[in-house]
Amino acid sequence: MSTMSRRCIPYTPNRRPLAETTIALVTTAGVHARNQPAFNPEGEKEFRIIPNDVPTAELTISHPYYDHTDADRDINCVFPVDRLRELAAEGLIGGVNDFHIGFMGTSPRLREVYEETAPAIADRVERSKTDAVVLTAG
Amino acid sequence: MRGLPTVLITVSPEASAQMGPPRAIYPVGFQIGHVLGGPGQADLQRQVLRDALERLITPGEPGTIEERVYPQYVPPPPAPS
Repeated sequence: MSTMSRRCIPYTPNRRPLAETTIALVTTAGVHARNQPAFNPEGEKEFRIIPNDVPTAELTISHPYYDHTDADRDINCVFPVDRLRELAAEGLIGGVNDFHIGFMGTSPRLREVYEETAPAIADRVERSKTDAVVLTAG
Repeated sequence: MRGLPTVLITVSPEASAQMGPPRAIYPVGFQIGHVLGGPGQADLQRQVLRDALERLITPGEPGTIEERVYPQYVPPPPAPS
């Protein structure tokens, strides 16, 4: 377990041009594929791996702690996967990772999120072809 | 763990600041649930995402949440009382 002070800022330098960068999205807005289990509204430590080839119509949100009425209509309000694909198609970024991460960020067990879930997400994303991550909440 | 560069798009800058995000932008006035803009505002969503990606390659003080202003943002109507 990391003993880094919580006042430290976990900064990783980036020297790669955007046009050579593969991006993954990581969101705590409760996004997942419709064929994946909904998040436990009481909080859970499990995250969802959202394949990048899932159409946005097959994405949904299970998060009881913010009004996602508009995001239900247009997932890009909180999870800009279509926008990311468009920017990749126009060459602004090098590419989009094979998957993204969805998580429900409200939990009464924050220590579990901090010590288990977040490192697990980081490890999973690091082992992919992702070069950098865009983070969103709800 | 080798570390990955990250950038956060937040509409709750005070809460986010407590966690010390290495890079972050705050679209000023955007409501929760509208992190990149409202539904159907694809051009705006794209601009916010571009600005976040730009922050990945722009030098800046780690831990700073940089404000961005988007006059074209349409906030949701207030809930009926």
